[in-house]
Amino acid sequence: MSDETKIDLELDLKGLLCPLPMVKVSQNIGKVEVGGVIRAIATDPGAMADIPAWAKSTGNEVLQAEKVGGEFVFLVKRVK
Amino acid sequence: MDSTQLTTLTGVIDKKMNRQLKQYLDICARCAICKDACHQYVGTGDFKYLPARRAELIRQIYKKYFTKTGEFVPALYEARDPDENLLDELYDSTYACTGCRRCMYYCPFSIDTAWILSVAKAILIAAGKGNEMLGQLADAAIFKGDNAEMFNDVMVSGFEDIQEEVRAITGNPNSQVPVNKEGADILYVALAGAHSIRPAAVIFEEAGENWTISMFEAANYGFFYGDVEKARLITKRYIDEAKRLGVKEIVVPECGHAYRVAEFFYEAWSKEPMPFKISHILEKVDQYIKSGRITVDKGLIEGKVTYHDPCQLGRNGGKFEEPRDIVKAVTDNFVDLTPNRAEQWCCGGGGGIVAMEEFKDVRLASGIKKVEQLKASGATVLACPCENCRLQIEELNEVHELGLQVWQVIDLVVAAMPLKGTKPTHV
Ligand code: SF4
Ligand code: SF4
Repeated sequence: MSDETKIDLELDLKGLLCPLPMVKVSQNIGKVEVGGVIRAIATDPGAMADIPAWAKSTGNEVLQAEKVGGEFVFLVKRVK
Repeated sequence: MDSTQLTTLTGVIDKKMNRQLKQYLDICARCAICKDACHQYVGTGDFKYLPARRAELIRQIYKKYFTKTGEFVPALYEARDPDENLLDELYDSTYACTGCRRCMYYCPFSIDTAWILSVAKAILIAAGKGNEMLGQLADAAIFKGDNAEMFNDVMVSGFEDIQEEVRAITGNPNSQVPVNKEGADILYVALAGAHSIRPAAVIFEEAGENWTISMFEAANYGFFYGDVEKARLITKRYIDEAKRLGVKEIVVPECGHAYRVAEFFYEAWSKEPMPFKISHILEKVDQYIKSGRITVDKGLIEGKVTYHDPCQLGRNGGKFEEPRDIVKAVTDNFVDLTPNRAEQWCCGGGGGIVAMEEFKDVRLASGIKKVEQLKASGATVLACPCENCRLQIEELNEVHELGLQVWQVIDLVVAAMPLKGTKPTHV
């Protein structure tokens, strides 16, 4: 999916400890238009639960949450 | 503001009113002793951060609606409506407050400004002006609790990865990060980050502890947000888990507010007796060292080491000596900050402020007393238990070029343990 999706904002969250990756996604979601997508790359495994939980509870959408090597790659779409 | 909204907001004060709060609102002598105790006022010189001034905003509403004199001659008694201007002022002074309660320690009447501001948070939330970020973080935690199944696989896979790292550190291929272990003695409720699980797991395993890891994190943004119901639900996630697994004890991580929530607040919120012993991880580690269940070597940490008392763990949690005893067990080169223990300066990073970008300037300015203390100590290593404090002090370290290594206490312990595996770094 990452090959086809247009990315509007890249967030490098590598090295940040949870819950900071979720905080950074939340702080930055307003920077893309509704329908826009953030690609966030984190290294803390806690983000694999944190970011999808944040998206679900705020009504946004995680298009992808994938472990790639030692990194966790998220595509988060702003829904509202 | 229409009359319905007014009734809602004054109703919040009415619901929270008790003798203690009434006393706090009635007796302030305006001596301003608290101004020199508050790191935010000292760091910014901004009147709105003076503790008595923050509380005064609640006092003004109280006077208008809960006292006869304020009701009839409001101008004379500075009685005010909770209008938009007052609420905007209240938002800044309330959510910026780190809840350190240093002002209370120095106030001749022990007025608990942080408590008064918990009423302010409830008013702001009722007015739809609660801090959005803290509210979102609280809701995400509650969502995780309500949909635990959804996150089970990613959590277990994360724990398996951490287990591999633990084995690499201990050099023992049998070291575990036990998940969902029924009949374990201890449920360790870490933070969401691997950094708070890894070193704790090394210590529990080396101590031969019968433990299991929680699927939930101990951080409680509902508490910082100021919504008691959200805070209760977030805590309830791991209380229910502990009941299900039949553990005897819950151990919370280094994080100060998590300890206060579990040890001091949850019983009142849930109106149920706490069925478990609550311990802070550093109490356990101190016991393991003193009883010889783990061994630490004094020669392995280099440089002069100091210790910062997180406000929620120290002044507000009463844990002053266990962390110091641990640090002194891993080094002969310990120096305390001045002042320390109950008089310790707040670093400026508590109360959820590190998650609120809008307060970044005041947060960094308010760290000036901590910077002065750290410089005066001459230390090159700082042991600092609380996550919020560490984030703040690491940023101060960079901005003020202090050249400090900032360590979690449990990382310092693991670094001082004679283990067969690979030595971890301090982050
Ligand atoms: S120190 Fe206490 S009594 Fe004095 S101004 Fe501050 S809150 Fe009021
Ligand atoms: S609790 Fe701490 S931050 Fe809040 S007003 Fe008092 S001294 Fe200042």
